[in-house]
Amino acid sequence: MTMGGSRHFAPWQLLAVLGAAAVAAFLISLATGPAGLGINAAGEARLLIFREIRLPRAILGALIGGALGLSGAVLQGYLRNPLAEASLLGISSGAALGAVLAIQLGLSQLFALALPIGGLIGALAAMFAVIALAGLRAGAIAMLLAGLAVSSIATALISLVLNLAHNPFASVEMVFWLMGSLADRSLPQVWLAAPLMLAGMAILLLVGRALDALTLGEDAALSLGIDLAHTRWAVIVGTALSVGAATAVTGVIGFIGLIIPHALRPLTGHRPSLLLPASLLAGAGMLLLADAALRLMQPWVELRIGVLTALLGAPFFIWLVLRTRRELL
Amino acid sequence: MSALAPTLARLYRTAALAPAIAGCVMLAAAARPLAAGEGAGPRRIVSLDLCTDQLLIELGDATRIAAVTRLARDSRLSAIPGKAAALSTTRGEAEDVLAYDPDLVLAGPFGVSPTVELLRRLGRNVVVVPLAQDLAGVRRAVRAVASAIGAEQRGEAMIAEFDRRLARIAAVGPRPTAIVYQIGGIASGPGSLADAALNAAGFSNLYDAYRPTRSGRVLLESLIAWPPDLLVLTGYGGEDRTSVADSLRHPALAALRIWRPVLELPGRFWLCGTPHIADAIERLAGVRESVQEAMQARTRR
Repeated sequence: MTMGGSRHFAPWQLLAVLGAAAVAAFLISLATGPAGLGINAAGEARLLIFREIRLPRAILGALIGGALGLSGAVLQGYLRNPLAEASLLGISSGAALGAVLAIQLGLSQLFALALPIGGLIGALAAMFAVIALAGLRAGAIAMLLAGLAVSSIATALISLVLNLAHNPFASVEMVFWLMGSLADRSLPQVWLAAPLMLAGMAILLLVGRALDALTLGEDAALSLGIDLAHTRWAVIVGTALSVGAATAVTGVIGFIGLIIPHALRPLTGHRPSLLLPASLLAGAGMLLLADAALRLMQPWVELRIGVLTALLGAPFFIWLVLRTRRELL
Repeated sequence: MSALAPTLARLYRTAALAPAIAGCVMLAAAARPLAAGEGAGPRRIVSLDLCTDQLLIELGDATRIAAVTRLARDSRLSAIPGKAAALSTTRGEAEDVLAYDPDLVLAGPFGVSPTVELLRRLGRNVVVVPLAQDLAGVRRAVRAVASAIGAEQRGEAMIAEFDRRLARIAAVGPRPTAIVYQIGGIASGPGSLADAALNAAGFSNLYDAYRPTRSGRVLLESLIAWPPDLLVLTGYGGEDRTSVADSLRHPALAALRIWRPVLELPGRFWLCGTPHIADAIERLAGVRESVQEAMQARTRR
């Protein structure tokens, strides 16, 4: 394992730069909207716009971008699979199915937390399904196929559930769940999802040391005192918590977890314990900026955030697939 | 699903979003010349569209109605769910329709064109009733259905009653601004029935001022920054179990409701270009005076 030749930053410098960028992106997100900086609105309305509309959007953007970037880095590192990512492995679709079920069964009306918990359970179920189909040791392509299968099934089931509910908005709902949206989200939704997401992200960050050891191989990791079963559970539970709760309030937002870790690896070296927090910060920054760009384009071009991230990520994904295939041949 | 497709198109038709959603399915549908049911008129009529359902039920004899869509019974969508309750329903697929051996099939312009083409190829008499996007369109739709089922006189009586109701609405004083904000954050723009209703009730539609997207989406933020004199909220009842309904549950909207008069007009008021649109216009006109008072109170402050 080389430590990445082109690394010029000390770890703390990299994290400081990415952190500053994420904070800047957060402020840009707060300042972006059709009402401008609130110059046109009366005092009361301005407060309302910032507190009830832009703040939840920015907080969710930061948390979800961070969760997606972090979980992507963890999954790629743990599975040693360059194509691993929450949406590609079907985890996001599973979470969306769980959330849709929580809503349609009326559970989220009984107690609001049922919504993110539904997402969490759906994400868990999807992960177990992928592991059952492909196994933890599967090659990159086999795991991708398992993820595709799980994702297709979850998507079909979402469609089925929405249609069985005789919901005239079934198609619009599908668009929300499959393409994601941060538009007009509210503070109550932040309070609902944030605690679970933060818990999941904390668990994932703690996996970093184990992933560092695992880059030396499993035997070396064992000799360094890494509990492999413990690590596996931390990866699964942390991903389910962070991605599941995120998807339950915003729908599926893809590819961020794929792009960010790959883009950062030249800077972090192949050192997961640094890549993980870096991916969290960069993921947050990227989603915040993408969402702000979306709002600037708004009257002319109407894109869903998940469509934008897919437009950015899909070409990258294709390149990765080609590269992976070359390596396999 | 096929019975719901036209509904979905219709829900969003008010915002001119329909083409974006139902896509190419609708492009193929075009109004055909009407085949007037002469003589005794058709006796086994099937309707494939929520709106033709309602016109058929109110213009025709129940004994001649073979089936309507199940949407006609849905109190979220239909203005006359009670009257439809006793009728048979069709899922809308050609095979299901043929089981009724209809001598007339009424369809709307959305979502059912493959079925319509198939039924026509099988020699069935299909009348596609054009959608009403304004009040004149309502009259045209009534006449289209009335002439197809041979109930021209009832049709003219229905239109006369509709015009009497409209004539009673006199707009006086300044025209307050209003927006029809629907589930999913969609607003109703020019060329929609809701826009026609706003105008008829003496309001001016603020739609264009909010710079909506092509699909009619207005960001909640714009609504808060430039609140209309009257906020018309259009849900569909029972939509609690959807994430698109979050737009009507947003805390910021709840705050706006404290500053501005709000009228809730569920979707069943707007969905169809039938004379029941007069209900919506009467409700709007009914609050106009208090909206004008609220405007004056704000300018005095």
